[in-house]
Amino acid sequence: MSGDVLVRARGLGKSYPQVFRPRDRLRALWRLLRGVADPNASVVLHDVDLEVRRGESLGLIGENGAGKSTLLKLLTGVLTPTTGTVAVHGRLGALLELGAGFHPEYSGRDNIAMSAALYGLSAQEMRERYDEIVAFADIGHYIDEPVKHYSSGMVVRLGFAVVAALRPDVLITDEVLAVGDESFQRKCVRWMEQYLEDGGTLILVSHSMYHVQKLCRHACWLRHGAIAAYGDVFDVTQAYLAYHEAKSAAPAERAAARNVHGLEFHLLDLRLNGIGHDTPVLVEFAGTLRVDIVVHSRDGRVPVIVVGVARVDGTPVYGVSTEMDGVQPAAEDATTFRIEVEFPQLTLLPGSYIVKAHPLDSEGVRLFDTIERPLTVRGSSRELGLVRLNHTWHNAASPRLRGISGG
Amino acid sequence: MSALALTTHFVRREIRNRYLGSFSGGLWALIQPLIQLAVYGFVWIYVFRMRIPGGDNAPGIVAFLALGVWPWNAFAEAVVRATTAVQDNAALIGKVALPREVLVFSSVASSFLLHALGFCAILLVFWLYGTPLRGLGVPLAAALFLQLFVLALGFALLFAAIQVFVRDLGQTLAQLMPLWMFAGPVLYPRDYLPERFRGWLDYNPFTFYPEALRETLLGYGSTGTPWIVAGVIALALLALGYGVFRRLSPHFEDFL
Repeated sequence: MSGDVLVRARGLGKSYPQVFRPRDRLRALWRLLRGVADPNASVVLHDVDLEVRRGESLGLIGENGAGKSTLLKLLTGVLTPTTGTVAVHGRLGALLELGAGFHPEYSGRDNIAMSAALYGLSAQEMRERYDEIVAFADIGHYIDEPVKHYSSGMVVRLGFAVVAALRPDVLITDEVLAVGDESFQRKCVRWMEQYLEDGGTLILVSHSMYHVQKLCRHACWLRHGAIAAYGDVFDVTQAYLAYHEAKSAAPAERAAARNVHGLEFHLLDLRLNGIGHDTPVLVEFAGTLRVDIVVHSRDGRVPVIVVGVARVDGTPVYGVSTEMDGVQPAAEDATTFRIEVEFPQLTLLPGSYIVKAHPLDSEGVRLFDTIERPLTVRGSSRELGLVRLNHTWHNAASPRLRGISGG
Repeated sequence: MSALALTTHFVRREIRNRYLGSFSGGLWALIQPLIQLAVYGFVWIYVFRMRIPGGDNAPGIVAFLALGVWPWNAFAEAVVRATTAVQDNAALIGKVALPREVLVFSSVASSFLLHALGFCAILLVFWLYGTPLRGLGVPLAAALFLQLFVLALGFALLFAAIQVFVRDLGQTLAQLMPLWMFAGPVLYPRDYLPERFRGWLDYNPFTFYPEALRETLLGYGSTGTPWIVAGVIALALLALGYGVFRRLSPHFEDFL
């Protein structure tokens, strides 16, 4: 790893006091004056260790209330940590909230001057960059009107323009990209790519995995105020998405206990690449998946076997049966049948899936039993959706070289 | 450098905020104390028939009042306004990292700036009017105002920090301010008090300022406490206010 550390957090934690009645405020005041810690503060963030080096880009992801904004506020110094330390080297630019630091009564010009001063720009630097800011914001004559007349998009434009002119060493931004219109979003993303190419350092909070994967090389997943995963952006975002998909999947479906006693057909085993238990089987993108199925047939009739792949939330991706393909499972003994199906060059996009198998009767009509196995496809593809469709680009110009994800 | 730029911005914004949308604009800073002075002068001369003790050496009642009312207005307004300075900027504090002291400082500074301007104008009026002012008194008066600023800043930091936790403070303070004024020789000379109460005035940290201003500018009366003591008190209050403010300010966000 090269580059000096620009942001370092050690054992960072934040608790908020629980204040319900006016009396609590007095008590809190007295306690703070004496310098005594609050015993029943509610912890929103604890034990966060972060290190961001120059030129690095870190995406912060997590559910609402996971502590992302609190962490950003701690990093920017808006909040003081309850425990641990934050050290920031270099100029820090932050776009935390829509129009933070803008006064609604004043014109865009006045607010530019004010927020530049808030970011620590001297009057001299301010004068030099003023026109640049106005040009970047590109909001026409609105620049002379009070900010209260602005649309939310214009407020973001102005805010982003100020931060862009700041040329910060570290840029911290909360999901503000989502507010501007399409062309401004493009402008922002372009600016950020350029900024990263020039060696800028970025900490981005977003619910859009697309933006995170596009702009960041590392990601940190916060859950319940602590780091759940931290590392390569693709690993972390995939783990995060898998967690979400698993959460939204109908829990009732999995609760159904396997009651196979006396069924005409039931599954004895289902193995993915030789693994037959409930921990996710890991397959590289474009790798090979082998599904091994063993069925018990009470009356020794040959079953039809269906194999399917679904996303964790239940969305079917693909299903196929032995009958469709005109094959039959081989008999191991009088009542046991076995077959294996291989998916070479797996085109499932990185993410979490479920592989299911069912035995059907010999006519392929009645479905008897189900076993599911989790499957995780790993990889660093930024493609969207579930599977890669074969494709070729025609009439394309020679590619421009601007690798930010490739490094 | 940038802290200075920030302070300048806040002072400018504070002053603009006060007069935003009013016709008279900054002129109001002059008119308001002039009217106040005229009312007090009228009441004191024609209703209460008050004379400043001291025979022929005694200054005119208007000059006497002016040197009490102006510093008091500057002080009282600065303290009352700055008490809510942190609370009023809650939105900013929650979103932008800035040294919060700047907010209190700017509020106190803009009050003093406006009243100092008014004070200069009134001195000019006296001078044109023929009130004998001591030449050396003007720079000394400026120094006194600066010291009063230090005292006001100390109170302001202390109150602004506490106000975040105890919201009643600002309102209570506004109600108590007239009491505080009458507990000092703003509208009357110390000699008007019965002998046994006179010493009590010295417990009011503001008492020194009108007395010192009258002494330096008009050559009237003397101060109850030496200048050096008043200076130490002002600095001690600033230290106390700053200490409390620094201790509490990391927690402002949690209580705003």
